[in-house]
Amino acid sequence: MNDEADQFEQRLGRQPLKSIPAEWRAEILTAARAAQPSRHVWLSTLNSQLSTVFWPHPKAWAGLATVWVFIFALNFSMRDTSPRVAEKSAPPSPEVMVELKKQQLLFAELVGPRELSDADRQKLFAPKPRSECVEILAT
Amino acid sequence: MKMPGGNDIERLYDEHAQPLYAFLLNFTRNEPDTRDLLQEIFVKLAREPKLLAGVREERAFLIRLAHNAAIDLMRRRGTRDRTRENFAAEMISPFAPTSDPDEKVYREELAVALGELPEEQRAVVHLKLWEGLTFEEIAAALEIPPNTTASRYRYALDKLRGRLRPLYEEMKNAE
Repeated sequence: MNDEADQFEQRLGRQPLKSIPAEWRAEILTAARAAQPSRHVWLSTLNSQLSTVFWPHPKAWAGLATVWVFIFALNFSMRDTSPRVAEKSAPPSPEVMVELKKQQLLFAELVGPRELSDADRQKLFAPKPRSECVEILAT
Repeated sequence: MKMPGGNDIERLYDEHAQPLYAFLLNFTRNEPDTRDLLQEIFVKLAREPKLLAGVREERAFLIRLAHNAAIDLMRRRGTRDRTRENFAAEMISPFAPTSDPDEKVYREELAVALGELPEEQRAVVHLKLWEGLTFEEIAAALEIPPNTTASRYRYALDKLRGRLRPLYEEMKNAE
């Protein structure tokens, strides 16, 4: 009985199966290659997702984007690009400092001392009697 | 198209497409569905090359993918489509054509008898008889317990034997 069962199974197993159609190879492999992950696929996915978000009012979103681009362009064009002298100039060298001192001394000699005498200082700062103040006001 | 572990999609196709085709054709009994499922599997492998990373038995893994894809397809379809498939099951044979009239009749009868089996039994019978897998390997591929695999095989074989016995006896006597 077991022998007969084995023969039956063996006969079943000997039945040859259909071969895969040869033309499927190129078709299936082409589809598989196309599905390979790539930058292009990533971009198209991003594009489709953005389209879903922006779809309800595409013109409004485009207008808003244009306004922002205009604002950025304006901001960029008005940016102050002139060099800042105070920040960027280097500290004067010792020679320049010596020359400046010499010029100051020379200028002082030419102009002369502007010191006031003690008497003049007293005249300027001494308090006056009230009566004189009234006179000054009257004049 | 190189994949991790030296795998490339062309090699995978050349090594495994034929047995996957036979398995899917026997399971779905529908050639366009078989083609779609086969393409779905290879597209998935190309899209996710890491799927095969660390896989020891490629064939068993791919059979599992094929089985799951076929089950998904059946689920996506309703009872109406299944009725249509059962009708088509009698029409589409998974066996190679032959010029021998006796063999032709036997293959046709076997194709019909296989088509009458439940899908889960048909899958086990196919993997045991035409892929030569052990019950443990079939159990791993179909994600079912080994005991279930063995019992499904026994039930299926009893049905096939009962269905084909008259023809089998006739052919045996003729030999």
